[in-house]
Amino acid sequence: MSQCRKRCKRQLTKVARYFYRFLTGTLTQDSIEDDFELSTVCHRPEGLDKLQEQTKFTKKELQVLYRGFKNECPSGVVNEETFKHIYSQFFPQGDSSTYAHFLFEAFDTNKNGSVSFEDFVIGLSIILRGSINDRLSWAFNLYDLNKDGCITKEEMMDIMKSIYDMMGKYTYPCMHEDAPREHVESFFQKMDRNKDGVVTIEEFIESCQKDENIMQSMQLFDNVI
Amino acid sequence: MAAGVAAWLPFARAAAIGWMPVASAPMPAPPRDKRRTQDGLIVLNISGTKFQTWRNTLERYPDTLLGSTERDFFYQEDTNEYFFDRDPDIFRHILNFYRTGKLHYPRHECISAYDEELAFFGIIPEIIGDCCYEEYKDRRRENAERIQDDEDNENNNDLVLPDMTFRESMWRAFENPHTSTMALVFYYVTGFFIAVSVMANVVETVPCGTMPNNRAKEVSCGERYALAFFCLDTACVMIFTVEYLLRLMAAPSRYKFVKSVMSIIDVVAIMPYYIGLVMTDNEDVSGAFVTLRVFRVFRIFKFSRHSAGLRILGYTLKSCASELGFLLFSLTMAIIIFATVMFYAEKGSSGSKFTSIPAAFWYTIVTMTTLGYGDMVPKTIVGKIFGSICSLSGVLVIALPVPVIVSNFSRIYHQSQRAEKRRAQKKTRLARIRAAKSGGANAYLQYKRNGLLTDSEEEASKEAGQALVCKSNPTFETQHHHLLHCLEKTTNHEFVDEQTYESSCMEVSMVKPSASRSSSLSSSPHGLSSCCSRRHKRKSFNVPNSTMAAGCRDSMQELSTIQIRERPLSNSRSNLNAKFEETVPLNSEQQPYITAAVISMPTPPVTTPEGEDSASSPDYSQSNIVRVSAL
Repeated sequence: MSQCRKRCKRQLTKVARYFYRFLTGTLTQDSIEDDFELSTVCHRPEGLDKLQEQTKFTKKELQVLYRGFKNECPSGVVNEETFKHIYSQFFPQGDSSTYAHFLFEAFDTNKNGSVSFEDFVIGLSIILRGSINDRLSWAFNLYDLNKDGCITKEEMMDIMKSIYDMMGKYTYPCMHEDAPREHVESFFQKMDRNKDGVVTIEEFIESCQKDENIMQSMQLFDNVI
Repeated sequence: MAAGVAAWLPFARAAAIGWMPVASAPMPAPPRDKRRTQDGLIVLNISGTKFQTWRNTLERYPDTLLGSTERDFFYQEDTNEYFFDRDPDIFRHILNFYRTGKLHYPRHECISAYDEELAFFGIIPEIIGDCCYEEYKDRRRENAERIQDDEDNENNNDLVLPDMTFRESMWRAFENPHTSTMALVFYYVTGFFIAVSVMANVVETVPCGTMPNNRAKEVSCGERYALAFFCLDTACVMIFTVEYLLRLMAAPSRYKFVKSVMSIIDVVAIMPYYIGLVMTDNEDVSGAFVTLRVFRVFRIFKFSRHSAGLRILGYTLKSCASELGFLLFSLTMAIIIFATVMFYAEKGSSGSKFTSIPAAFWYTIVTMTTLGYGDMVPKTIVGKIFGSICSLSGVLVIALPVPVIVSNFSRIYHQSQRAEKRRAQKKTRLARIRAAKSGGANAYLQYKRNGLLTDSEEEASKEAGQALVCKSNPTFETQHHHLLHCLEKTTNHEFVDEQTYESSCMEVSMVKPSASRSSSLSSSPHGLSSCCSRRHKRKSFNVPNSTMAAGCRDSMQELSTIQIRERPLSNSRSNLNAKFEETVPLNSEQQPYITAAVISMPTPPVTTPEGEDSASSPDYSQSNIVRVSAL
């Protein structure tokens, strides 16, 4: 019974407040919380010299990279949305969001949900200026979605599907449903030495070094910047 | 691909590392970067204001002027910059487009200036960002409408094709009464008769005393002076009928005319009379006949041809149809609701006038529009409460759509006002422009008179000593004069000004025998209104021989007749100097020194926007004289 009464009182106060607001007008004061949201998070990268030490880029290259970076992300950090959006501009036919997500995970080394310019440039430095082994281990890091040191078939399946998604619908020849799976099978055939169902980093690097095509394609990155 | 992300291409290419290990086939060879152009700064000098940007920024859009090799045409070697002689304020926005990928439209800039700059730099306006696109499109549409308006007005009012058929000229007289006196007379007469007819309808019903034979009954004026009113009505209807038939005959598209609103009003205005004539004095039918007389009041709508304000009102109502519809709909809803409520509220009270819901409609309407006749009032307390709520809500419901209609009316009214103002201003503007142009054209004649021509004789050189009118002629002017001189030499004719032409015209007329006079008259097409006769009108100069057909046209038509006459170059320079070229229609028995024969053709005025003064338009003679045969 007391509960009923309590509820009744609550409703009555609500109605009374409603009528009060109705009579006095509905202008509410600006809530103070809004002010805090207005200030944008702005991140500045470390000095040019420091970055030059950490990466293998020249000053000029860093300048060019930073200008492009800052243009798209004035706040100094890239969040996943923007990352996906930028990457999707290069692949208009297909859906590159999944692959962009994996890339983001790979670039975001400190796992804070945003990629700063340092992360960005360090990652690029490894890919574009690193040794073959560095590049291969970066690629392994990309494939290893849960970063536990080994690539499982499911992880590879995800990666493969995301790559195939980027192609989109209109391909020649037409895309099979299980084209990714076949590709994953052949990949595991090649990479998994001890047939234990996972690929470790040593197996990965070893198998890649044996493959001519892969070695040659790794050289492509020498002249990107 | 947006401009900004072009800078991220290296990243995208680097991200391809994820595909390499899984690829089964070898990768294609990378493109060789042939020209490793360093990304340098480019200096853009726009009329003195220097802008600088990266070369890559500009090359993001290779199909614009700045992004392609076209900019090399503007490269200044000595200062190592690109110079453009354009507006720096607008250029700022264009450069921002390269930087940010978004083109904005500044609201304070003139739309045509902006369009010109965009066209110059090769940027299509469709890429204006969403933030500014609407405004841009609105301004553009406004501008286009204004230009269209001007063109229409021009075409309507000023363009008089000399060979308009009678039908066309009649239609024009109907549509634009101010173009000719007859049309104006007709316009006022019809207006007068409309007013008379409407007044007669009104006065007909006024009680006018009693009939001479029957003292008791009070009759209206219409019944007392039945014959007089009937004659008046007949006269008005005859005039209206004649007017309608004339319009129907003159209309360029009869079908469209018959469908138009004004013609329907005309028909409705005169129909009752004819139907009344035809109908017999039957009792049942005369009831309907009386109803028909109501339609006679539609004659008052014929005034809308005479009043622009009325037309605007009609147009406003038409364009606000949706608001009016909403108003009606919301009122209807409110009326039904409140009528129902009032009916049930007042059901209890005795002797209440709210006998049914439809009866309550009347109360609701009167209350909502705050009329409050007082013939139906609620008596119960509940009824009074709801009645007051009803009147309050009525004010609200009516007040809401009204400002929309008002603003629409205001916009349309101001638009038409602006159009009128522009038309009025145009005349003075044209006159001023004409004066300025004639000044320029006279410069050539002045130049000649000053004897700066190479083959001048001493006489000319004497004149040169006098008038030091020639200010230091800029190169442009001297080259222009040389050009005109070349034309003179080519055609063996000379440019003259008005006075000398006039005097030579006099000479011609006096020397020519009368026979040629008449023949020349017959041979001249009616479009040739000569400078002579025009000047005749202006200076009331009595030229005994008006060799050309009389007829003063307005400014545009002055151009339609330029006549060329050849002068043998053996005449002394002083005679020839500043003589206007004219033609006399060719006759075999012409004077010995009149030999050439060209009849000019009435050229459409549009092609000669300049040189409206025919006497002082060497430019005009260049562009409009088709050929001269020197005999």
